[in-house]
Amino acid sequence: MKGNWFFPNLWRFLSLLAVQGLILSGISYNTDGYISLLLYPLFILLLPILMPIPIVVLAGFLIGVFVDSFTGTLGLHASTGAFSGYVRALILDRFAPQGGYTGKEPIASPAYFGWRWFLSVSGVFFAVHLLWYFSVAYFTPVYFFNKILPQAALSWLSTMPVVMVLMRLFYPKN
Amino acid sequence: MYSIVQLFVRHGGLITLVIAQVISFYLMTSQNTPQREIARLSWGWYSNWLLEWRNRWLDYLSLRDENIRLKMENAQLRTQLANLRASETPMRDTVRRQEAPDSLGKKLIRPEYVVISARVVGNTFSGRHNWLILNRGAKDGIRPNSGVISRSGVVGIVRDVSDHFSLAMSVLHPQTKISAMVKGYAFYGSLYWDEKDPRYLTLSDIPYHLPIRRGDTVQVSNYSLIFPEGHTAGIVDTAYRPQGSSFLHIRVRPTQSPASVREVYVVTNRYAEELDNLTRATQEKR
Repeated sequence: MKGNWFFPNLWRFLSLLAVQGLILSGISYNTDGYISLLLYPLFILLLPILMPIPIVVLAGFLIGVFVDSFTGTLGLHASTGAFSGYVRALILDRFAPQGGYTGKEPIASPAYFGWRWFLSVSGVFFAVHLLWYFSVAYFTPVYFFNKILPQAALSWLSTMPVVMVLMRLFYPKN
Repeated sequence: MYSIVQLFVRHGGLITLVIAQVISFYLMTSQNTPQREIARLSWGWYSNWLLEWRNRWLDYLSLRDENIRLKMENAQLRTQLANLRASETPMRDTVRRQEAPDSLGKKLIRPEYVVISARVVGNTFSGRHNWLILNRGAKDGIRPNSGVISRSGVVGIVRDVSDHFSLAMSVLHPQTKISAMVKGYAFYGSLYWDEKDPRYLTLSDIPYHLPIRRGDTVQVSNYSLIFPEGHTAGIVDTAYRPQGSSFLHIRVRPTQSPASVREVYVVTNRYAEELDNLTRATQEKR
């Protein structure tokens, strides 16, 4: 990790938290939970690739706690954030380029790996994140097929275009 | 301490995840109503399931004790049954002090038998003189000359006892002779092993005019001082009259295989010694 990684990540943390807590949480209420636009996982995904996993898990947990404090669902996003922080390492490992990550590409951005790669990584990452989120939200496997899976799919379909637009707009490099 | 650090270095991500999930789930179930309700119901369900599983396991573990208890109860019931048979004989005992009422309200004239459950811990069945070792002895109330039976047949006769073990002659021992009869006929004979085929015993002294057939039941006669009357001993395999003999030669297949016997009951006739002494005294007078 190079020295200038902290402030871009802090900026992403604050801005995504504000967008998620103040704007996007309302969408979920209006659609009876069927469409949940979750953008804050982007902060977790864009943390430095070589950042130690425990810190990524803690960072995911932290942003989840803050989102929970906005939405009044204490523990729900915290659990999902921590889980996504751990899963991110597995996904990045699975999609690692030949020779592995060298540190020349600080974050998992299309600016370094291309759009195709980013679409695959973020697609899997958000799918896992949303599935976990709805699983703990319903807190029982009874609703898996008639609630959890459809809602996660619908939310994924609505979240992914927004993620792509944001990435195209900001095109982060660190 | 070093190993804990090593563990964290190796699995730090997973450990952090588990800690974060524990905190999150605690927050979820304590602060959010839907999750709390689901968790409460789930805990109830899982704790019931665990409790049921635990009870089943404990039941399984207690099977051995239950088995011992059932064997003891069975021995008591067999004692009652054997004594009940004795009480049903149409005789009147004038000595009132020997009378005792049983649970059926009848008067037990002579409680003859004591039945003790035991396990065979040693067994020979391939020689000419075959023996059994039982895990009960004098301290358990076993006496020499007690009969050894199983649920399905006769097994042998106790010869010697130590404090905790007994040595019994198997039915496959030439000295083991049992007073027996073919069920349905009031003639008794001697059931013994002729030292030839260990699969069969021989019943002798049954008059030739009796229409004994293959498949008839051989049981302990009422003259046996060792075994309870009516206990099944075997099944008639063949019966024929040897030339010039007034008695049948009956080959009997024992209902209890001497080789596979394991759980047995030792039957002691309380009056066997007294009767034996009486017989000897009479013989000496002659």
